[in-house]
Amino acid sequence: MTALALVPKSEARPVVQHTLERDLNGIVHLLTCGSVDDGKSTLIGRLLWDASDLYEDQRENVRKSGRKAADSDLPDYSMLLDGLVAEREQGITIDIAWKYFDTETRRFVIIDSPGHEQYTRNMASGASHADVAILLVDARAGVKRQTKRHAAILDLVGVKRVVLAVNKMDLAEYSEDVFRKIEADFRTLCWKFSFWDAVAIPLSAVYGENVARKATTMPWYQGPYLLEHLEKAPSHGTAVEGPFRLPVQTVLRDGVDFRGLAGTVSSGSIKVGDEITDVLSGKKAKVERIATMSGDLASAQAGQAIALQLDHDIDVSRGAVLASVASKPVAAQTIEGRFVWLSETAFDPRAGYLLRTVTDLIPVSNIEIKALLDLETMSSHPASHCGVNDIAIAKISLGRPAAIDLFGDISETGTLMLVDAISGASIAGGVATSVTAKSEQHGDGHFILTREMLANGLCRDLSLSSADREEFTRRANEAAILLRAAGVSVAIEPPPLIDDGMDPGL
Amino acid sequence: MNASPSHLDLLEAESIHIFREAAAQFRKPVLMYSIGKDSTVLLHLARKAFWPQKPPFPLLHIDTTWKFKEMIAFRDKTVKDFGLDLIVHINEDGIKRGINPVDHAPSIHTDVLKTQALKQALDKYGFDAAFGGARRDEEASRAKERVFSFRAAGHRWDPRKQRPEMWRLLNGRLGTGESVRVFPLSNWTEKDVWRYIIREKLDVVPLYFAAERPTIVRNGQILMVDDNRLKPKAGEEIKMRKIRFRTLGCYPLTAAIDSEASDIESVVLETLNAQTSERQGRLIDHDQAGAMEKKKQEGYF
Repeated sequence: MTALALVPKSEARPVVQHTLERDLNGIVHLLTCGSVDDGKSTLIGRLLWDASDLYEDQRENVRKSGRKAADSDLPDYSMLLDGLVAEREQGITIDIAWKYFDTETRRFVIIDSPGHEQYTRNMASGASHADVAILLVDARAGVKRQTKRHAAILDLVGVKRVVLAVNKMDLAEYSEDVFRKIEADFRTLCWKFSFWDAVAIPLSAVYGENVARKATTMPWYQGPYLLEHLEKAPSHGTAVEGPFRLPVQTVLRDGVDFRGLAGTVSSGSIKVGDEITDVLSGKKAKVERIATMSGDLASAQAGQAIALQLDHDIDVSRGAVLASVASKPVAAQTIEGRFVWLSETAFDPRAGYLLRTVTDLIPVSNIEIKALLDLETMSSHPASHCGVNDIAIAKISLGRPAAIDLFGDISETGTLMLVDAISGASIAGGVATSVTAKSEQHGDGHFILTREMLANGLCRDLSLSSADREEFTRRANEAAILLRAAGVSVAIEPPPLIDDGMDPGL
Repeated sequence: MNASPSHLDLLEAESIHIFREAAAQFRKPVLMYSIGKDSTVLLHLARKAFWPQKPPFPLLHIDTTWKFKEMIAFRDKTVKDFGLDLIVHINEDGIKRGINPVDHAPSIHTDVLKTQALKQALDKYGFDAAFGGARRDEEASRAKERVFSFRAAGHRWDPRKQRPEMWRLLNGRLGTGESVRVFPLSNWTEKDVWRYIIREKLDVVPLYFAAERPTIVRNGQILMVDDNRLKPKAGEEIKMRKIRFRTLGCYPLTAAIDSEASDIESVVLETLNAQTSERQGRLIDHDQAGAMEKKKQEGYF
């Protein structure tokens, strides 16, 4: 009979008791940066052990293994992350492993990415999903070059909340002087970056001091312990400050009446009656309905997936960004940005590239690498080439205008991915640091695919219906890609701005 | 201003975003429908993503012919109730060769009637994207899976061709011969799936609820005798037993657990506070070391 008992009996009361009524208070994505030597796996393992809903069989594995945490008689908590860290190498070019656990109040998602110097791209792609990053240092070593690199990558991809976990305080005699010195170094470091919240916490991962409970060994420390701090951090998708943005993913229809512009609110909030604009066409309309299958909403905020019906049809489709009239994105023709080069293939000025934003895919007519960024000094050095793991400052000319924000203002609509036009591969992830509506390249030795030319030839079978106009744009983009791949500098003539006569200022 | 969103609100919105993104970027998507609780949630999210339209893709069920009878009945009712398009594909060649989960190793059965069958169906209809219900929390080899998981020609999973995913940007531009598996439930856990089923009042296959069912015990596992193709061996005896299932698949390969939980609330409470992870009930995973990882390379989800 015992073999049948899939649920082993346990004397221990589970750390987390689940009930039906309680939904968790949001999700926090955690990125830990540091090397194995700093005790990264042990710290997360200890957090899981003390505060999470680990299955009893996972706990039993750790107890039974007999493995001990370094320099102690305690179980080796880092084993709980073995499935992630030490698993058979799958050879994935960029490795990020995801682990999920619940405490009494929160869902935490651990984003695990290798932290060595040569893995800039790994860390950058992991960090791009993080709500909070834990920078781990050994109390005996303090803030190192690597810590600075890590902080720079976090800042680059937009992480706003950072914790410096000063680990192994047990090996530094729980000394306040040691901690204060490191804390001061960390403060100095943080001045360079645009973090909103940066705290240093002295702890011992092995002994669980200041991890999931307050340490008894460091009475001089008055701040929060790690879990206390993490449970108070704002959840993912609750940053509702900022102007409204809705990148349109698709248009949903219901026979004749309903035309819903569907997407996920990426910034701010919207309510019925609000006026919005599409910066590419210059048209404006008022929100008539915020529709979901579960019922209409009076308002919606960042993170919600909705469909907006407007009071009159402004004929926008996928790729448009609906925005508040008071503060709208730029219909950008030229962008400057910082890019983490993800691809093994170096930048090739003759290759065909596309630029992906949240919901748009735009032909690129020219890329100019201007400089490479040194992550340790945060200084830039002029360059015209870049390759894997480089941080490049690049100027990109687009084949047609696209709605883009400055990443520093509204992060999601300022994120970019450079895509290889032929293989489709993701080449470089970037953030927009400067956007201009003017095309710097027009008429400057560039071949321009005019709308008339396209309408008379390649797109002659298309009507003026919105589906056909989408197809028109698609064909124009494809033609530009092919020309570009063949070495022709090409731009697509932008659609005419249509004055819808609704602007009360006119 | 709305109340701050719960973790389920956030997961739901993320899944809807993924559905909409994939439907817009791929030419001919299909939803892999395997009838279980994960598929139930997946389908519900697909309906939400495109409401008031129907999902702009059909459902594909790979039928090994060894699914529980109640699963097939549930599938047909679901498709009818929601007015969906369903494609059922069976590897007829494998059936002719007499492959089955009783006489053959689970790995052979799965390879021929699931993995091969899936590839056949995807090729036959020319789907370039297939939605699946896989979750990263299911087991270690899935912890690194992407939301858009690329397959080279021949459905091969090439680790070097997997694309980094940053922020909310999903890059689905396909290279020659490439197709993609899309996993909208990537960030859900087993517990989330159950909580969501309760929250949204979704119907699931009754096999998830405890009832008296005919069973035998084989290799220490409780199996349900769903029809006479599973014959008791010497020393085995068919007994009625109050059981339920944590996962559903081919009935001779799906172990039951003793349970008194006969309604959704008690099942969920039992699951939420369970002390073992769900895949213990799936015999294929114990079949060989690194089984899941190998199956993934071969094209199984």
